[in-house]
Amino acid sequence: MSAESLTAALTALQQYDWGTDTAVLAAIDDAIAAAHSNESVRKDLEARLIAALQSNLSRDAKDCVCRKLMIIGTAACVPAVASLLDKPEHAHMARFVLERMPAPEAAQALRDALGKLDGNLKIGVIGSLGAHRDTGAVAVLAPALRSNDAAVARAAAWALGAIGTADAAAALQATLSSADGNKSPMIDGLLACAESLLKQQPAAARAIYQSLAGDDQSRLVRLAATRGMLACASAES
Amino acid sequence: MNRCSGIACLVVGLVLSSATAAWSAKKPSADYLQMIVKLLSDNDPEFRGIALEQVRTAGGGAATTELFASQLTVLSPAAQVGLLGALADRGDAAARGSVLALYQSSQDEAVRAAAIRALGQLGESPELLPLLVRVLGSASTAEQVAARQSLIVLRGDTVTASIARQMPSAAPAQKAGLIEVLAARWARDQIPAFIAATLDESAQVRAAAMAALGQLGGVPQVAAMLPGVLKAAKGAERDAAEKNVAIVCSRIANDDERATTLIQALETIDTAQRDQLLGLVGRVGGKKLIKFVAGIATSSDPAQRKLGIDALSKWPDASVADQLLEIAKMTKDPEERSRAFQGFVKISATRDKRSDDQRLQRMKQAMKEANSPAEQKLVLMRCRTAYTVDTLRFVLPYLEDPQFAPTVCETIVELAHHREIRDPNKAEFDQALNKVIAISKDPVVVERARRYQRGETWERSG
Repeated sequence: MSAESLTAALTALQQYDWGTDTAVLAAIDDAIAAAHSNESVRKDLEARLIAALQSNLSRDAKDCVCRKLMIIGTAACVPAVASLLDKPEHAHMARFVLERMPAPEAAQALRDALGKLDGNLKIGVIGSLGAHRDTGAVAVLAPALRSNDAAVARAAAWALGAIGTADAAAALQATLSSADGNKSPMIDGLLACAESLLKQQPAAARAIYQSLAGDDQSRLVRLAATRGMLACASAES
Repeated sequence: MNRCSGIACLVVGLVLSSATAAWSAKKPSADYLQMIVKLLSDNDPEFRGIALEQVRTAGGGAATTELFASQLTVLSPAAQVGLLGALADRGDAAARGSVLALYQSSQDEAVRAAAIRALGQLGESPELLPLLVRVLGSASTAEQVAARQSLIVLRGDTVTASIARQMPSAAPAQKAGLIEVLAARWARDQIPAFIAATLDESAQVRAAAMAALGQLGGVPQVAAMLPGVLKAAKGAERDAAEKNVAIVCSRIANDDERATTLIQALETIDTAQRDQLLGLVGRVGGKKLIKFVAGIATSSDPAQRKLGIDALSKWPDASVADQLLEIAKMTKDPEERSRAFQGFVKISATRDKRSDDQRLQRMKQAMKEANSPAEQKLVLMRCRTAYTVDTLRFVLPYLEDPQFAPTVCETIVELAHHREIRDPNKAEFDQALNKVIAISKDPVVVERARRYQRGETWERSG
């Protein structure tokens, strides 16, 4: 892979759009492979991809750049990627990058965006915080459980379930006890938390299952809770 | 054993022994066990199912098993059946006493059958084998089936020999069951006992023995099975006996060797009785045997000819079709003509290795040779085994003739049943099926025709 072919591929991005032969970008993939064991090459490539992302590219070209940053991106690319979170046509790919990035800056960017978004964009970011298993997001997700938008509340419950910590469970339980209407998402979230806690904190998991095993719950929930309580008791044996 | 495989065996052995030790030594908490016990008596079968999962896998060894097994007496019959199955899967002999006690005290057939089935999985004990043999002769079919399953899966080095020892004193129904069990346990060393049983006075025992030999027998048993064929009552028992010998012969891959084995076996039979085995020769088939049987089918003795024609009519493929047609054409005896022609049509329609087109050509030939409406009807009926659209085109004109219409309607729906010929020729089939719907008086045929037009299938009953 030569520097010229990489430059040509990055230049090709300016004209790239739906239907363009993907072969024109092959040099970028080669550069990603070469960057695997060479930090300076990776850093340079990331910088050039950030610059491309901030330029006036087509939607498909920006999608391509995001896919590459998902592989080699670090905290350095977070501001550029996060700036796409409020753009409906790019938000999905931006979250694709951030929810997979281990850098704490990525999770922070998702948390920061939460307060500025509504509707589907907000639901998407909530889902990404869950997928990221961002334990620091519990405090910002807990209020979303009481959102007037049922879809937002449901997404928050599932995200807290995916995070699966005792704090996440506590947030769900606090809301569940005072909630009206559809409690299923919160119960799903709680069951997911209990399952995450089962190995490390069986007593905490058992308390959750116990709270869901009463006659006031549906048969399916009681079945799941009963199965969980047995798993806890077995783990504690 | 090389060094690597030795180490691998050691590692596997250590893993297995440690897993077993964990299963038996890990003592579950009382709380956990109480939860399971409570759930076992839940009214909801799904909640009981959760507990049964734990019964199968919970640690604690014999003490835990005994705790679970002690619940058998306090549960409802449905829950008892579930727990018996779970205890069987747990496979711990510590449950045997409670399971046996429940079998003896329960009046519920499902519970008793489940207990018998569980006992088979819990291992051999001195009183178990006689009990299972006794249940084989029980009035309850469910218990009989369970006992047979248990005897098949019962573990232990001496179990097969012990089962075999029960045979001489067993009643016919039990003896037949024991033979089936021994065959399922692949007890090749009992083949001499099976051969002896082919001559038993009980048809049930004879049938079981022939089936066992069909399953386990080889070349050395072919001659020994022939007296069993002769002993079998004509009809279903004789047919089944012949089929079992044919199955054993089919294990000989070479045509010539197969024929030689059978001819040598036939030579051990008294000449006067040998003719009765021609049907068997037909079932085994093969070029060398065609000549042998065709000679008999054209002999000067009418009784011999009849046996020969019947034998050719049982041939497993169409290689004897020309011989049968020749006999049908040459004979002056109308009954013999009818017998040979029926055999020719049956053999020509056999679904052997020929193509569907070849089968259809034979049916067209048969139609030309048919000399009565009854023979034509037979051809139109047998045409349904040639799965090609050309068969539809061949039979369709006969739909206009009222004497053939019902048979042709059935043949058309049988052909339409095969999606692989119906779908690529949908328009042609739809048109034919419309005629069937208009003509047929048989509601099943009409219903089938409608279903096939809608692209649906039809399930044969029975």
